[in-house]
Amino acid sequence: MGRGRDKVFFLTLLPFAAAVVAALALLAAVFVRESLPIFLREGASFITSATWSPSTNPAKAFYGILPAIYGTLVTSAIAVGIAVPASACMAVFVNEVLPRGVREAFSSVVDVMAGMPTVVYGLWALNYLAPALQKFVMGPLHTYLGFIPLFACTPVSGYSLLSAAAILTVMVTPYTFAIVKEAYSSIPLKYREAILSIGAGRFETASTMLGMIKPAVVGAALLGVGRAASETVAVTLVIGNSPSLSPCLFSPGYTVSSLIATQYGESFLYPYMLNALYAAGLILLCLGLGLSGVGTLMMRRWRGLRNA
Amino acid sequence: MVGCGFRAFTALLIMSAVTLSALALAGYVTPASSVVLVRGAGATFPLPQILDWIRLFTPTHPGIVVSYLGIGSGAGQAAFFEGTTNFCGSDPPLTHKAWLKHHGRVMQTPYLLGAVVITYNLPGLGNATLRLTGKVIAMIYAGKIRYWDNPLIKELNPGLKLPHKEIVPVYRADASGTQYIFTLFLRKSAPSVWRASWVSKVAKFPAATQGFGRGGKGNPGVAEVILHTPYSIGFVEWGYAIEKRMPVAAIQNAAGKFLKPSVEGLEAAAAEAVKHLPKTPLGDFSRDLNYIVYANAPNAYPIACWTHLILWTHYKNPAEARALATFLKWIVRVGYHHILPGYAPAPQGVRELVLKAAQILESEDGAGAGG
Repeated sequence: MGRGRDKVFFLTLLPFAAAVVAALALLAAVFVRESLPIFLREGASFITSATWSPSTNPAKAFYGILPAIYGTLVTSAIAVGIAVPASACMAVFVNEVLPRGVREAFSSVVDVMAGMPTVVYGLWALNYLAPALQKFVMGPLHTYLGFIPLFACTPVSGYSLLSAAAILTVMVTPYTFAIVKEAYSSIPLKYREAILSIGAGRFETASTMLGMIKPAVVGAALLGVGRAASETVAVTLVIGNSPSLSPCLFSPGYTVSSLIATQYGESFLYPYMLNALYAAGLILLCLGLGLSGVGTLMMRRWRGLRNA
Repeated sequence: MVGCGFRAFTALLIMSAVTLSALALAGYVTPASSVVLVRGAGATFPLPQILDWIRLFTPTHPGIVVSYLGIGSGAGQAAFFEGTTNFCGSDPPLTHKAWLKHHGRVMQTPYLLGAVVITYNLPGLGNATLRLTGKVIAMIYAGKIRYWDNPLIKELNPGLKLPHKEIVPVYRADASGTQYIFTLFLRKSAPSVWRASWVSKVAKFPAATQGFGRGGKGNPGVAEVILHTPYSIGFVEWGYAIEKRMPVAAIQNAAGKFLKPSVEGLEAAAAEAVKHLPKTPLGDFSRDLNYIVYANAPNAYPIACWTHLILWTHYKNPAEARALATFLKWIVRVGYHHILPGYAPAPQGVRELVLKAAQILESEDGAGAGG
């Protein structure tokens, strides 16, 4: 009897699980099918070329998305590179320094930030953040550190890779913070007592406990990259939208997501353009899969080390 | 003027609500036979004007419901040829190839004039108007003029104090008819600077590809980038510049005159261009933007444009054809007296084309084979 009921229970769950997998498989299949023509036509130069030149004449049309890939990697790396350490510091601050009452309030404010529609961030960045960064950050960086290629070009406008990275940092931090904080506060009390009992100070306690939640930090970083790379609206508003390739952070660029967002509207007027956009999406998908693979590997290794 | 944008937005919301409820009524409440629904979709450029016309047209024509969705010219054409819509609003005319394919069954005509204006963010200029030529603008977007105090700009603006600051040219990041008109103007006015391959809806010129310019999405995107980037220059639809109260440059026309956009300037350009148009809506209009942009008339605003209606000659449901004809005739008779800021009504020659299209729609047998 019991086993029969288990089976029914299992069977009722199956359609939902299968639907998710099927949706993912279908999505991937469509992306592969739609991007095939552009890969057959341009081969690797689709990824290695910086020329984005749609044309109604199929012979003249050429699509290269290197600047978009570069922009995605650079802005996501900066955003996560700042957001994750900042989240770790915030988590320690919240758990070790803030009184219990304020702690909850602080966390809920950050949660609200995480749930805010991205277009709100975008409008704020468009109207305030980018112009302010140009004036107060890019200007001084260029004046005093202009010898570094990253800051070499004149910041003539706020709309640039740096502004995109900045707004992504603001958007990603609440996510990474939530994960790191949750992991930090779920460390059993006995560990903290053990650390304190051997006479560790606040700093030593915090750094030891942060070491214990490494997998959560890695997870937060991966989620952060995923979120940063897939953000569309806010980035499109501030990145300057130029298919050019420059090592300078003050120059305009594209990300794969913003490229798709700006170009999709009239894409069916141009031969192969829709294929190119699907292929760009596919690359983003692969990037995401690759990263989560790396993350899984790192976690597995880390667990292995701990169990040994 | 203050709050104009907000008013327009509210009006748009109300109107779409009205259209939607009218649609619902037409579909579910009133018997379908007594109300004819005419569906259109396409360019967003004429959207505010068309919605305003529909608002005025509907109360006096209880048997007809006209709807229009702004989905872009390309998508509008696709929807029209798929049979999803009855008519299409398109900024560019049909390409020669598309026209050939549907020759005899499809009609098109310009019906509404607009302008692309050059706007800028030049701190310290005050109320003075900047004067520019197509050649100077082309050189700015090609990267050959990089600073505001360039002798070529100074020469055109002897009274102005122009700073030694880098110019930031702003363009459209998305594929856009406005960008096509702008680049076509540069090609026609400065063929030695502006390459033919840079005439496109897509930004393929140096300001975009070399990264010294900035791209905004849509008219709002471009406007915001200009407003927040000191020493920038860019182009938007005229109505947008009026709404945002942005400064507008006087541009030299083909006759050598420096003009700011005006209804008269657009009408002059269209009146000149209409001489080169086919005399029937069944004709090939594929090159008609070439005639109105940088039109060779003494008082023509140089970056004028018009937007088109695309229709079938013959509809399966004759009531739809009659309703469309009624709407077209109403536009010429009444609609052209209710033009929103940023547009201009069509001149005489174009009105004749619109009326001729209505006439073909009304003729019982249609003019060609069934569509």
